[in-house]
Amino acid sequence: MRAERGSAEERRARFDVQVLPHLDAAYRFARWLARSPADVDDVVQDAMLRAFRGFDGLRGGDVKAWLFTIVRNCHLTALAQRERRGFVPLPAEGDSHDGAALVSAAPGPESVSMRRDEERNVERLLGDLPPEHREVLILREIEELDYREIAAVTQVPIGTVMSRLARARAGLKARWLSESEEERDAVR
Amino acid sequence: MPCAETERRLHAYFDGELDALGAAAFEGHLESCAECRAALEDLKTMRAALRAELPDERAPAALAARISAALDRETAAPARAARRAWPAGGWQARGRSAQSFGRGLLTGAGGGLLAATLAFFLIAPHVSAPRGGLLDDLVNAHVRSLLPAHLVDVESTDRHTVKPWFAGHVDVSPAVYDFTAQGYRLLGGRADYFEHQRAAALVYQHGPHVINVFSWAGEGAPLPADTTRNGYRLAFWQEGNLRYCAVSDTGWAELLKLVSLIRTAEGQEGHG
Repeated sequence: MRAERGSAEERRARFDVQVLPHLDAAYRFARWLARSPADVDDVVQDAMLRAFRGFDGLRGGDVKAWLFTIVRNCHLTALAQRERRGFVPLPAEGDSHDGAALVSAAPGPESVSMRRDEERNVERLLGDLPPEHREVLILREIEELDYREIAAVTQVPIGTVMSRLARARAGLKARWLSESEEERDAVR
Repeated sequence: MPCAETERRLHAYFDGELDALGAAAFEGHLESCAECRAALEDLKTMRAALRAELPDERAPAALAARISAALDRETAAPARAARRAWPAGGWQARGRSAQSFGRGLLTGAGGGLLAATLAFFLIAPHVSAPRGGLLDDLVNAHVRSLLPAHLVDVESTDRHTVKPWFAGHVDVSPAVYDFTAQGYRLLGGRADYFEHQRAAALVYQHGPHVINVFSWAGEGAPLPADTTRNGYRLAFWQEGNLRYCAVSDTGWAELLKLVSLIRTAEGQEGHG
């Protein structure tokens, strides 16, 4: 069954109803991907235009994950372009941090001290994570996509989503706990 | 430290990705494993912190205007745009949608209904329009509520101000609860019109997501199965002669948790 291919105006109206309401979510996601406010607007605008052009290819109800896939592709394209022009340094190699994080993240006696602390800057801790860990955490905990949707957006198998998510959580927890320790030391 | 397989199951359980059997088995393991219980508590703490403390950002109005203008130009010159499909070939929404639709029918009412519904679609596809109509009405009401200044007609941090407001403005009297402690803050109530009546909408905030819980009077015809439409999830249930639908772009697990909180609170009120 093919989607009806109406006039340009009808297509635009359908886009306004089905896709545009997810603009805020797309913007939030792009903010976490790009990290530089100037780039975010360009990525989101580019993504919305590409989404509009590819709108006829979309089937089914999963608009949000589909739009996120496009946002992410636009971000990666923009990043590659800037790197070619030498505007920004290469991003940190993601998985190189993981070993230490994984070891220190084993649930042990220190986890008892892990509690909600309003002073803690969760946003900054999250910003310190490698990009591919940050994105799965954002997609799961904030945007609340399920594993299958995250796999579609990040274009990796579900098994990889699961291991990245586990390592991302371990990494965040390790940073969280080490910050708590520094605070305790500072108080003494 | 739990073995890798146990750790995978811990995360899958926490994320609502295990089926009922798998979840029950893991809960059995939790009872005997203090290590996993502690790890689960840590996951909950981190999730609560992330959802509570990350800024709830919206696209700036200037950006929305720029995009709208760009779309206008694109609409005016459609010939150039038409052929570019994106992402090329890799998207799986079609299969997924059909699959979850079938699953919803099966779990909702059994295979007999599935067969009957398929026959219904095959014989008289045009008759199914009203059902699509209800889903569209619900999603449209949800999207409309997200526009600036449309979210609530009556604000509340206290359910006792919302309930009386409904009495004068809608045709039903739904249960009103606040679940701030569980991560679902009641923002207020609103009147919406569909199914030929003034329906009630309760509005909850969950992280950056808004959840509308619609209720209207109705009996007889089967409720639609839980489904995803335009990127929004719709969960249906019935309580007496009241029909409810929770709509949001939250995850399924998170949406169904609110549904279960409401139903549990209603059950306690009904029997106590």
